[in-house]
Amino acid sequence: MAEKTVSILKALGNPNKAKIIAHLAKHRGETAEGIGKHLGYPLPTIYKYLRELEAARAVESESKGNTRVYFAGNFKFEVSAEKLMEAFEEQTLESVYKARFGEEGMERLREVSKKAKAGKMTYRQAASTLGITYYEFVSLLEETGAD
Amino acid sequence: MHKPLVIDSSVLIALDGQGRLEDRLIQWKNDGFDVVIPAAIINEVIDEPERIAEEIRERAPVLAHKMKASALRMKMAIKQGLIQIETLDYITYSRVIDNVRKHLSKLEAKPEHMIKKGDSELIALIIQLYYQNKQKVFLATFDKGLLKTLKPFSKEAKYEVLKI
Repeated sequence: MAEKTVSILKALGNPNKAKIIAHLAKHRGETAEGIGKHLGYPLPTIYKYLRELEAARAVESESKGNTRVYFAGNFKFEVSAEKLMEAFEEQTLESVYKARFGEEGMERLREVSKKAKAGKMTYRQAASTLGITYYEFVSLLEETGAD
Repeated sequence: MHKPLVIDSSVLIALDGQGRLEDRLIQWKNDGFDVVIPAAIINEVIDEPERIAEEIRERAPVLAHKMKASALRMKMAIKQGLIQIETLDYITYSRVIDNVRKHLSKLEAKPEHMIKKGDSELIALIIQLYYQNKQKVFLATFDKGLLKTLKPFSKEAKYEVLKI
């Protein structure tokens, strides 16, 4: 979520790029030349902005004969302190695991990890016991500094 | 073959996570080791992260990207010959594989078909390499449980656990 949010924020933070999106929302299937004419920007600038907007998935395009036409992307952007916190919050395997198994799952992970680290079971047995892949288990051990 | 070094996924995943995978593999190569893995390890270091990355792509794209990049680095290491995939002789070493699976099955109280292949294939590979090359086999793992499981089978092969 973070990368996409930052890209959209960047696009919307530049009024000229935001105008292109607004223009395309009104004039669907417009060419780069058409956008330039309407908004009065030089063509190289239009192409640069369109490239960046496409990368941010704020604009989409398709080929029509020899030309390329552009559309406003189908995105919805809601800004709030919570949404920004969510977007920039560090993504870890632990947070993904916690979202999937909850606090109870985290407790179980700690118990099983302890046994595996003590050599009471192999890492593969531990992964199997927790119902996760071996890759997830070893990465979780690494992430939590358990190894 | 140079000094055979059987490497467990736990080491590959941990080294990659620390950004030290390629350097360490090159170092082992320079030290005269042939780093080898059985096929089951491919699933753990390439297929699993790729599959999880696909599953979490929408809700955690940065993490998904990291996992895909990790799988790609493993593929590159194999392509560059820094990690070699050794084919297990399932006919000759089927008894070892079966015994390890039985042993783990009892410990886990699970049917044998539910036991992950990695442990049994790693142990069988150590024994196979020892008989093939008639020289000590090295093993790198962070998994103490795997080492304990290996012990009863160690009478069949001479091996040394490498410190990472």
